[in-house]
Amino acid sequence: MSAIEIHNLAKTFGALKAVDGVSFTVEAGSVTGYLGPNGAGKTTTLRCLLGLVTPDSGEALVGGRRYTTLPQPVTEVGAVLEATSFHPGRTARNHLRILCTAAGLPVQRADEALEQVGLAEAADKRVLGFSLGMRQRLALASALLGRPKVYILDEPANGLDPAGIEWLRGFLRHLAHDQGAAVLVSSHVLPEVEQTVDNVVIIAKGRLVRQGTLAELTTNGEPAVRVRAAKAAELAPALEAAGARVEPAEDGLLRVHGLDSGAVGQVALDQRVALSELTPERSDLQKIFLELTEGR
Amino acid sequence: MIGLVKAELQKLFTTRLWWIMLLVMLVLVGVNLGLFIGFAGVSQNGAPALPERDTVEWARMAWSAGADGNVFAMILGVVMMTAEYRYQTITGTFLTTPRRGRVIVAKLVGGLLVGLLFGLGALVFEAVVVIPTVLISGGEFSPAAWHIPQTGLGIIATFALYALFGIGLGTLVRNQVAGIVGAVVWSYVIERILVAIPALQPVGRWLPGGAAQSLLSIDVDTGLGRPELLPAWGGALVLAGYAVIFALVASATTVRRDIT
Ligand SMILES: Nc1ncnc2c1ncn2[C@@H]1O[C@H](COP(=O)(O)OP(=O)(O)OP(=O)(O)O)[C@@H](O)[C@H]1O
Ligand SMILES: [Mg+2]
Repeated sequence: MSAIEIHNLAKTFGALKAVDGVSFTVEAGSVTGYLGPNGAGKTTTLRCLLGLVTPDSGEALVGGRRYTTLPQPVTEVGAVLEATSFHPGRTARNHLRILCTAAGLPVQRADEALEQVGLAEAADKRVLGFSLGMRQRLALASALLGRPKVYILDEPANGLDPAGIEWLRGFLRHLAHDQGAAVLVSSHVLPEVEQTVDNVVIIAKGRLVRQGTLAELTTNGEPAVRVRAAKAAELAPALEAAGARVEPAEDGLLRVHGLDSGAVGQVALDQRVALSELTPERSDLQKIFLELTEGR
Repeated sequence: MIGLVKAELQKLFTTRLWWIMLLVMLVLVGVNLGLFIGFAGVSQNGAPALPERDTVEWARMAWSAGADGNVFAMILGVVMMTAEYRYQTITGTFLTTPRRGRVIVAKLVGGLLVGLLFGLGALVFEAVVVIPTVLISGGEFSPAAWHIPQTGLGIIATFALYALFGIGLGTLVRNQVAGIVGAVVWSYVIERILVAIPALQPVGRWLPGGAAQSLLSIDVDTGLGRPELLPAWGGALVLAGYAVIFALVASATTVRRDIT
């Protein structure tokens, strides 16, 4: 049994098919990125999974059960949905304590969770004065309260600064790889999650476009560098001598595998060959994702 | 379940609104009492005067002045529900307790308790003002003659039930401002008119406000004639009936709705 299973999930809002027959699974000990452009249906899927939205058809299960039937949901699933779901006049600690009380958890979990996300200093500040990034951390803290084994996070990197994103990446990897949790994290920005996820599920306009491990999706087009030069014929043997595999494309254009663009440039300089183009090709995943995002 | 009720009370008491409401309520009750004290025994333009301050009749009337505060219990009820939608904390609430019926029950119980506390607050405030006033004016303190047990129970019960009405209204409208305005207009305008004007009393006495008044045993001629209200037990039944209706409305409208 997978930690998260989604079978043929569908949900329409009026005439709009927000989610249209989506199926995928998330296994314990792995991070799965749920990617898609704005309005693709990511949030709707996650809300179905969490019992907040009732799907028209299909199933969304956590640990083999519907979320609404879990006896102690916070101890099984930690969820982060919107960054804004706090009462502005309440302190961070009180916000978490209320959740502990409602869930029957000891209230000191509130302080421990604040510590874990680096908000201990702001525990007694009212949320009103929190930055977007602090709100995201507080939301994450509320997901940690029950020490769950499944995490469902909707765009958790929104509003974090680069250092915050780096911290989040490490944290998610730690949850999955060290603690064996199943992590499902959505994003509409690929680079945000590319370095974190083991598996990728891509959705657009409510339909599943692609899914697989990150390795599968990125290596079927092994990264290449496009090089254009008038004297391409002189450059190719030198590149091969440097260990590259060279694939001649159209006139004057080479696709070079096995060397990065810096190394290619160095070889060109050594050979005194002038380059008119030197471009690292995007990986397959990035191509798919960009096509989806731009084709809207 | 106890944890859920506790969580609902914490939600209210970790924000500022409750004591602002309490303060405003006490000010309003204070103004009412001030008018009773100021105009006791004064006859204006031939209108019947209020009784003198040392009489049992004055004490009974003054003691019922707290009933006006029930709208604040209702507003708190409205806010207990609408704040969750306004700040989207409803998402976290339902994530923690996905069986939404339990959340609604916890809110209703929490609302009852808060209403009760506010009712008690109003009564304590009255005691502090009314008893010394009567004693200083030379009257005698007599809980039984002043109908304190009956009026006290009536005030506490109506406060508690008005908090429930507020929660029911809150689940229906979900918009905080609309809910609060609705509560104020309903209890200060619509009910007042329907209960005060004799021709409309056949309708008015069946409304929460009219039923609440019958619990308070205020037997005062307001100049429009004595109000024709239900007997006290009838009023209690009608209020309980409203509470059940509002509780059902609250859960029926919340349990299946998508939270997006
Ligand atoms: N309550 C609702 N009523 C009507 N339409 C809705 C509702 N919720 C979502 N939608 C629509 O469903 C579609 C999918 O929305 P969803 O929020 O799931 O997308 P998303 O992938 O999370 O997008 P984003 O990256 O912008 O967060 C959108 O077109 C959205 O407008
Ligand atoms: Mg979204």
